Amino acid sequence: MIEAVRLSRDFGGREAVREVSFSVAPGEVVAFLGPNGAGKTTTIRLLLGLLRPAAGRADVTRPVGYVPELFAGYDALAVSSYLGFLARMKRVPRAEVEPSLGAAGAADLAGRPVGRLSKGQRQRVGLAQALLGRPPSYVLDEPTQGLDPAQVVEARTLLRSLASDGAAVLISTHLLAEAAAVADRVVVIVRGRVVAEERPGEAGDLERRFLELVGRGELT
Amino acid sequence: MTRAVVGKELRVLWASPVPYVVGALLQLVLGLLYVDQLAARRQALFQPAVPIAGFLLLALTPLVCMRAVAEEARSGTLELLLAVPVAGRPLVVGKWLAAWITVLVVLAPVVLFVLLLEWFGNPDLGPVLSGLVGLALLAGALAALGVLASSLTSTQPVAAMTAFFVSLLLWFAHVRAEALSVGGVMDRLSISERLRGFAGGVVDTSDVAFFVLLAAAALTLAAAAVDGRRLR
Ligand SMILES: Nc1ncnc2c1ncn2[C@@H]1O[C@H](COP(=O)(O)OP(=O)(O)OP(=O)(O)O)[C@@H](O)[C@H]1O
Ligand SMILES: [Mg+2]
Repeated sequence: MIEAVRLSRDFGGREAVREVSFSVAPGEVVAFLGPNGAGKTTTIRLLLGLLRPAAGRADVTRPVGYVPELFAGYDALAVSSYLGFLARMKRVPRAEVEPSLGAAGAADLAGRPVGRLSKGQRQRVGLAQALLGRPPSYVLDEPTQGLDPAQVVEARTLLRSLASDGAAVLISTHLLAEAAAVADRVVVIVRGRVVAEERPGEAGDLERRFLELVGRGELT
Repeated sequence: MTRAVVGKELRVLWASPVPYVVGALLQLVLGLLYVDQLAARRQALFQPAVPIAGFLLLALTPLVCMRAVAEEARSGTLELLLAVPVAGRPLVVGKWLAAWITVLVVLAPVVLFVLLLEWFGNPDLGPVLSGLVGLALLAGALAALGVLASSLTSTQPVAAMTAFFVSLLLWFAHVRAEALSVGGVMDRLSISERLRGFAGGVVDTSDVAFFVLLAAAALTLAAAAVDGRRLR
């Protein structure tokens, strides 16, 4: 279960997120959509307790798998030691490392230094890290950025399988086709406010709807 | 948990050039200054090596510690750990242990000087041992200060400079202390005065306690600083 209840937060007087409420039930994939700077990452950091909300509260069933917006790792470590270290931090057996890498399509990267990975490889390792221990909640900030089309399809299958195993999955994304394909619901945030929460239609419909909600001017 | 942090820190630290450069500089400068002292005194004494090594640790320990928390904050891995959530204490204690071990390893070749002394003459081993104990304790306290400085910023050079200047103030805390109304307190804060006892062959429990408390206080503050990053 992932729940945001009237979350608000400003940075130095500038409002970033305003009374954002939504929830992700176990077994559900929810896509968090919005233009750049809308407040997606801020909401995610509020959900994880990395930022203090000015008002409202966040409720996330722990442990939670988290993919940050930007990949974060130790360049000098091999992928397997990086995951081994995070497994220890998450109090998950080291034996979980291999299946997590496999599920994220990163099994071939185990021996490579983190600092030498390509963007898409890094993204896959970031996803593998979130899968450690198969937590009941996932909060993924643009988990498919930088992945090639085949990997995007694989990630989609993975997210669906996590949900069918009973996890609550929240992903933020800019890819409307992806949202339409993977999500049970989409939550659209514009200028810090939730402006729509609905079932995604076909990709084309979602795009039309998104542009309508966001206002064309903002996408230029 | 702490063990995993120590292992990871050691691997990351020794994959960087920092320990090698720090070690080379430390041994080179220490060797030059110490041999100069020996030549001047014409006595087989380890004592003069202690303050020289201590002062060099003041400058070099911050370099070993500067990345500890600052680099994790900059690269985003700290946020990943805080989201788990990992508490500040095992994190900073692990980082401190790794930094301390690293400084001790880098310092270890000083025992070669002792062998040199054995060859030169007949040194008293008491002051040698107490001097080494003093240096090890000093290194632990300085490493804790370095980790604390690193936990207050995400810029490594700022962390190193802060730790260096704070250590420098503590080193010279006794200077002109008698002229001040708080002179007695300042005198007791001076890490160079504390080290002097060890170099002279005396292991005083209050001096040991001083270094241990300094390290504990710095680590407590560092853990609080890390936990404070969680909810900003
Ligand atoms: N630490 C911060 N300090 C100041 N302002 C911030 C901070 N973090 C975010 N903001 C501001 O809050 C607003 C929302 O940012 P956020 O990163 O949540 O957007 P986003 O929806 O994730 O955008 P993107 O799609 O580009 O990732 C932006 O105007 C941003 O500049
Ligand atoms: Mg974002």
